[in-house]
Amino acid sequence: MAETIVNLDELWPAVVLGDTGAYARWMSLAEPTIRRSLRGFAIHVDVEAVVQEALLRMWQIAPRFEADGRDNGTLRLGLRVARNLALSEARRMRAELTESEVLEAQGVDAEPTMPDPILRAAILACREALPDKPREALDARLESAGNEDDGAIAERLGQRKNTFLQNFTRARRLLAECLQRRGHGTLTELGA
Amino acid sequence: MTPEEEDRLIEEVAGAYRPRGRDELRYHPAWHDLAAPGRQKAYERALALRTVEAAADPRGLSRAARAVLGRITGE
Repeated sequence: MAETIVNLDELWPAVVLGDTGAYARWMSLAEPTIRRSLRGFAIHVDVEAVVQEALLRMWQIAPRFEADGRDNGTLRLGLRVARNLALSEARRMRAELTESEVLEAQGVDAEPTMPDPILRAAILACREALPDKPREALDARLESAGNEDDGAIAERLGQRKNTFLQNFTRARRLLAECLQRRGHGTLTELGA
Repeated sequence: MTPEEEDRLIEEVAGAYRPRGRDELRYHPAWHDLAAPGRQKAYERALALRTVEAAADPRGLSRAARAVLGRITGE
């Protein structure tokens, strides 16, 4: 079963051959770890932009990866690519990084983030329970991938951007409350 | 900026949409309007939202990963 993958390098031969499905699987398990590693940069650079660019670059440099005999070398490379991008951006933005902010990014273990099926089931159930308008806003963003801004999504729904964002905020908070009631308090920032 | 205006900016920045650049990294325009606490809040919220998005996707992909996949496949 795919869920048993703990060494992401097993996907890499297919990625090098241009298999986008294998790369999608790699991203699904690597992205959360990469994103968490950049917490220390969040006030200095747009981490979302850095994460997406790092994932794009990993695809572009895939054939150049050389295994060193340890598991998850591709994830370590991804973490390094993302950190170097963030450092480069921070310098461009003339940010004054503290030593602890830089060390935080270096100290992240190269462990893939395995999916949590119980949390997934709870999220899906809570999504189903949303009232119509908030559910519509949440689904519209989910359907758009990351290639459509909120103004365009709102227009597609026949709403003003502010109305769409209000509905989305309501969806997010209701989702957080529902997850909390079901004993999943780990996504605390969802309701903040 | 009122707290309500700041909340709206945080909501936008916490989303996965980013303008596409040819070679350079492109920020969300609203990111520049946020002060440090707002940027931190947007980061933490994005972390939670990407988890929700991945849970809702049959392949377990967040909107960010789907955006990257779209750039790779030219969609």
